[in-house]
Amino acid sequence: MEGNLSTLGYIPLLPLAGALVLGLMHLATCRGRRISERIYALVGCIGPILSFLLAVNVFFALQALPAQSRFLSHQAFTWFSVGELTVSMGFLADPLSVLMLLFVTFVGSLIHVYSIGYMAGDPAFGKFFSYLNLFLGSMLILVLGDGPLVMFVGWEGVGLCSYLLISYYSEDRGNVVAGNKAFIVNRIGDFGFVLGMAFLFWGIGAEGFDYLSLKANAHLLAPTLGITVCLLLFIGATGKSAQIPLYVWLPDAMAGPTPVSALIHAATMVTAGVYMVARFSFLYAQAEVAGLVVAWIGIMTALLGAIFGMFQNDIKKILAYSTVSQLGYMFAGVGVAAYSAGIFHVFTHAFFKALLFLGAGSVILALHHRQDIWQMGGLKNKLPITYWTMLVGALALAGCPPFAGFFSKDEILYSALAGGHTGIWAIGVLVAGMTAYYSFRLIFVVFHGQPRDREAYDHAHESPKVMTLPLIVLAVGALFAGFLNLPAIFGGHLQVSHWLAPSLTEVHPHGSIATEVLAIGGSVLAFVIGISIAYRRFATGGEQPVFTGFRKFAHHKFYVDELYDTVLVRPYRFLGQAVERVVEPFVTDGPVRAVAWLYRMAGLAFKVIQVGYVRVYAIYMVIGLSVMSLVLSQSLNF
Amino acid sequence: MIATYLFFGLALLSVLGALGLILFRHPMNSAMSFVVTLISLAGLYALLSAKLIFAIQLIVYAGAIMSLILFIIMFLNIQEEDLPVATGRWFFLAGGIVVMAPVAGLLLKIVKSLPGDVEPLTDAGFGGVKQVGLVLFQQWLLPFEIVSILLLVALVGAVVLAGKRG
Amino acid sequence: MIEHYLSLSILLFCLGVLGVISRRNVFVVFMSIELMLNAANLGFVTVARLHQSMDGHVLALMVMAVAAAEAALALAVVILLHKHKGNLDTNIFSLLKG
Repeated sequence: MEGNLSTLGYIPLLPLAGALVLGLMHLATCRGRRISERIYALVGCIGPILSFLLAVNVFFALQALPAQSRFLSHQAFTWFSVGELTVSMGFLADPLSVLMLLFVTFVGSLIHVYSIGYMAGDPAFGKFFSYLNLFLGSMLILVLGDGPLVMFVGWEGVGLCSYLLISYYSEDRGNVVAGNKAFIVNRIGDFGFVLGMAFLFWGIGAEGFDYLSLKANAHLLAPTLGITVCLLLFIGATGKSAQIPLYVWLPDAMAGPTPVSALIHAATMVTAGVYMVARFSFLYAQAEVAGLVVAWIGIMTALLGAIFGMFQNDIKKILAYSTVSQLGYMFAGVGVAAYSAGIFHVFTHAFFKALLFLGAGSVILALHHRQDIWQMGGLKNKLPITYWTMLVGALALAGCPPFAGFFSKDEILYSALAGGHTGIWAIGVLVAGMTAYYSFRLIFVVFHGQPRDREAYDHAHESPKVMTLPLIVLAVGALFAGFLNLPAIFGGHLQVSHWLAPSLTEVHPHGSIATEVLAIGGSVLAFVIGISIAYRRFATGGEQPVFTGFRKFAHHKFYVDELYDTVLVRPYRFLGQAVERVVEPFVTDGPVRAVAWLYRMAGLAFKVIQVGYVRVYAIYMVIGLSVMSLVLSQSLNF
Repeated sequence: MIATYLFFGLALLSVLGALGLILFRHPMNSAMSFVVTLISLAGLYALLSAKLIFAIQLIVYAGAIMSLILFIIMFLNIQEEDLPVATGRWFFLAGGIVVMAPVAGLLLKIVKSLPGDVEPLTDAGFGGVKQVGLVLFQQWLLPFEIVSILLLVALVGAVVLAGKRG
Repeated sequence: MIEHYLSLSILLFCLGVLGVISRRNVFVVFMSIELMLNAANLGFVTVARLHQSMDGHVLALMVMAVAAAEAALALAVVILLHKHKGNLDTNIFSLLKG
């Protein structure tokens, strides 16, 4: 059923090898030897670019196969074998994973190239590229893995790299705290993921714990167990993909360098949760309750993220909440069983969100690391390429036809409406309007009107070509990617959805033309309203508003972080201190020390014999001799 | 007959000397008693037909070693007040007698098993220089050489120790 | 006859041990050790007479040589001790105290 393609193993291996080489090179320079940035850049970018070329090769190999049997796999080595279970490090290339593979390597390569410009002059240039390559390698393992265990290897790997890269500027304590927060919150989600995997194995894992075997045996899974597994796996996804209640790490993760935010926290890592749900579509299709839970949590997260995004003043935080919101859309999509729509939104989102982040990075760099939008303004003329590409990105994000975001978002909303989830559709339309509002608030405040900080404005200049070229490429993608999945009403054939069909257990909804028109109309109306409100308030420049009441509440993110701190973090820390003060002295530390004390006392007791006077030692000898002779004279018979 | 009287006399002298050694307070007195013991022991060696040993005992032990000890005692100029006040002396002595009793008992028991009479000597030169020399330089050559090295070591050691300042 | 000599040897040996145990003066301790060596010598010579062999005499010579070497070194040490502490009491030297 599946053919073997040994080059699959090289796709994650190349960036991982690059990470190792770069790491060694960086360590070699710690004693003062310098390696030029060009060499680091060359070694750092060659891995991702080669992986992209290999991915294209795999795509064509897959296309050559007939539609129903598009599976290529490769078992690299046997990882472990316990009892009757044998797990190998295997890779599976089917339409779903190849789609993910293509845009992950493509966007990843572009961001690597961009980082050459953004991180220029940084003393740990090599370390950055090493971590970035390591991340890409882990993400590729996640995407290409042929079973949940291999995916989990990549899952943990990207979590680690996220931590390493968020706390990259480690001199500042706040950055390290943010990295810790990301890792710990991820870990909480991973606990759910591991439990889900365990239950899944318990249920149907006996005959093979890879996707194809699980899919074949999925019907054997008891319904309640299936729902439990789906919900537990989704808990892992809430951690990794920043949904309620574990989204709190993503805005703090903006402490990392901007290319990191673009790659990890916009385009690739955070979409791993959506990919996971799509991968397990054969489970979610059987457990509709779980799907509904996923969809509702997703759409509520979308709403929450949009509300927060409307009232933030930091350019990266606006984009971070926007990512949370868009991820909510994706989960809403896969929750209502529109898996291909959700994955398609992942695909387009990667382009325009990465574009927006990279553009924001360009602005930040031009203004010498300033991130408050109320200190910007009028940059349209000074940073033309950045402005036009970001405009394209914002239009795509806001869902303006014919940009990519419109088609993918519309597909999700139409599926929701056609599936009967009117509530989800309505909230989705509301969020679309808010999305348009905050994305254009950003554009108008940053690029239009009068410059608010004259001195910074005068020193600003356009970024070098190594940074603007990726922006242009991504803008082209954001513009045209939507046409890959045009619905019939626009004359397209839903190519992507059909291409993904062998990987997913999906039933396409068949709604009437009226439903389609309603969906499209709603989206367009929301976009128009949102952008016009933003235009009226900010296009001619505006001053930073003072937030009061509800706005202030939203600006402070509904005080959720403080809530978590009080309800969860502090009691846990208190518990830890209580253990240290109570349990340790009496249960663990105390008895061990008591035993040691006992030995010392015994030693001290025996020390009395050694008085130090040689005469006394001679007396000991004589006493010994006397005792011996007593014994001997008893036993000898003369 | 004479031998028996001589033996008991000399034995008594040696025991008295030993007692003096362990009982006198001033080390000079102890040393002098010890000399008495050594000389009487030399006499006992002579009674046992150990001519060479008798001579060597007088020359080396009573002559060289004891004079060295006496010299050092006089050199250090020990006054009455320098001597340690040994308060527990009798207690230690009594205890020592108690402890040594089994040892002595065992040894005496072993000794009693040996034959009591001695045969008259067949060899006229028994115990003389020639006889001892023959045995010393034939069977006991290696120990002899090693003892000479030992004496060298002692010599070097004494020089090193004497050269220490403070 | 022989057992008389050997009993005397044993007696002298025990007196030597008593001297080591009960006296605190360094010289007396040293001379008690010499007394023990002499008692051993007497034993050697007696048994040599018993067996009519020279080995005992040779051994007695060895013992005397060793005693001489030991006397030289011990007295050098005694002088150093006296220089160091000014006292000849063995109870003062307790650096070996555990």
